[in-house]
Amino acid sequence: MKLFTRYLRINLFATLVIFLLASIAFYFLLWYVTIGQVDEDLKIEQREIVSYVNKYHRPPEPINVKDQNMSFETSHETILTRKFSTIQSPSKTEKEDFREIRFTLPINNQWFLFRVSKSLERTQIMNRSIIIISIITIVAILAVSLLINRWQLGRLWKPFYSTLENVEKFRIGTKRTPKFDTSSIEEFNLLNTTLNHFIQDAEKEYSLLKEFTENASHELQTPLAIVRSTLDVVIQDEKLSESQSNALQTAYLAIQKMSKLNQSLLLLNKIDNRQFSDITSIDFKGLVEQKMNDWQELWQGRNLQITASLESTSVNLNEQLAEILLNNLFSNAARHSAEGGSIYIKLEKEVFEISNSASNGPLDPEKLFKRFSKGGQATDQHGLGLSIVKQITEVSGKRVAYRYAEGKHYFSILF
Amino acid sequence: MKVLIIEDEKALSESIFTYLNSEQYVCEIASDFRMAMDKISQYDYACIILDINLPGGSGLDILKELKLNHKADGVLFISARNSLDDRLRGLNSGADDYLTKPFHLSELAARVSAIIRRKSFDGNNLMKFEEIQLDLTEKTVMVNNRHIELTRKEYDLLLYFISNKNKVINKGAIAEHLWGDNMDMADSYDFIYTHIKNLRKKLIQAGARDYVKSVYGMGYKFTVR
Repeated sequence: MKLFTRYLRINLFATLVIFLLASIAFYFLLWYVTIGQVDEDLKIEQREIVSYVNKYHRPPEPINVKDQNMSFETSHETILTRKFSTIQSPSKTEKEDFREIRFTLPINNQWFLFRVSKSLERTQIMNRSIIIISIITIVAILAVSLLINRWQLGRLWKPFYSTLENVEKFRIGTKRTPKFDTSSIEEFNLLNTTLNHFIQDAEKEYSLLKEFTENASHELQTPLAIVRSTLDVVIQDEKLSESQSNALQTAYLAIQKMSKLNQSLLLLNKIDNRQFSDITSIDFKGLVEQKMNDWQELWQGRNLQITASLESTSVNLNEQLAEILLNNLFSNAARHSAEGGSIYIKLEKEVFEISNSASNGPLDPEKLFKRFSKGGQATDQHGLGLSIVKQITEVSGKRVAYRYAEGKHYFSILF
Repeated sequence: MKVLIIEDEKALSESIFTYLNSEQYVCEIASDFRMAMDKISQYDYACIILDINLPGGSGLDILKELKLNHKADGVLFISARNSLDDRLRGLNSGADDYLTKPFHLSELAARVSAIIRRKSFDGNNLMKFEEIQLDLTEKTVMVNNRHIELTRKEYDLLLYFISNKNKVINKGAIAEHLWGDNMDMADSYDFIYTHIKNLRKKLIQAGARDYVKSVYGMGYKFTVR
């Protein structure tokens, strides 16, 4: 729920309750006052009748007009005080409320009961009108205040949403720090400055970390070169025994692995640093065919069945990255399919898909693209291949997806 | 033929020196910027192996100096930075080739040999090893003046062997040379074996002697001895 929706809801509820209570009180007060007024009129009628009786010693002729009736009859009892009551229409022909006064008067030693009643129709009409006007006023006030609030609050919160949008667009390591607008509201400015500090700190930490990885990798290259070239010199010795040679081969393999790892780390760093910014429209079908050609030998050696259906597609991508991407996917597919397995390669307008028969069950999609995650058996690998794939797709605005179906791993690049 | 090694890491420059120095090349070492400048102004080299980062200056400045004096020395850049920028900068300023650390000495030797051949190109770009003759322009091979048919990989392999004759070449180096970084090493060793077997067979069938010696599952050596 939005903050101002919630605020409006509370506000609306309180206002409605107050208005309702006030309306009820108003209605009763109004009723009381108008009935009092009618009763006052009826008292005047009574006084007139009393003075008529005092003067002429007979009851006046009953004059019945539309909204006033008078009647009398002889009575055996006396009413000491006058009585007011609200009754239905005495004529019974129309449904209408009347206010009636009853009192007794002695005329020539005979008690007479007088009833004078006045129609309440006008009063009721007036009351009803007043209530209707009040309700209309309430509704109008509420509607207008709702609109004003909505408009005003929307305007007031605008800087907040623009800040939010900026933060949402922000990606760490892209060197594009969000630019916040200054607002006339102190709280929003505070929010913006705090966010700015936070982002700058994070950006600084991130670039320090990146620099560290980069420097560490670069610094490692020279010692690696020394070890490798020293080995190259040592193996020239003709007096080496077989066991010495085997030991040297082990050292070679370790150095090989280490320099590959280092190169992959440097590559990840370079992709991160967006050093592959040169984007061209690549004939992706041509590239896939070329890479398939490169890999053919390895695939044949492992007795893999290759099936490909390729549509002509051009993709906007850095050429080097595209090559690395395909190499990594091909290498991955070959490595994870058992000897004699099969690989399917599919290229359509929007998607490139490579699948291979799995030797085990599905891979964990959570861990799959993480650095240094190793999928089960292949321990001679450093586990950076797929994270390089992910990184490439991310900086190029593409998407990589993994799924497992019918004993096959599917990797797709969505252009 | 003289080769100058400009590299500040002593251990590395000495390895290169030991590997390259032979009846074919005479090597010299310069370990900093000033020493390098002195040497290039005094002598001509068939090839200069040049590290980009040097104490006292940049390898790129040495390259500029060479171009300024219209020296014809071939230049092979070596750098710890595997970045395209460095590579382009090096090649744009007139370097003949570029190699990233850590490299195999056999790869370095092959590159140096290629640079020198290109520089001393005199109409027929031929390379000879006993009865085997390679035409580097046509990429063809003759044994005893008879043409033999090799695949691309076999040709590359033979050229690599002859550029590193009498040296033990680690099979990892061969794999990297033939397939680049893409291949998993464990797989590629079997392929190297197959390619070498085929190459050997073709050469012997054409009447060449068997020059390829296997060295304890560690590598191969192309030698008359």
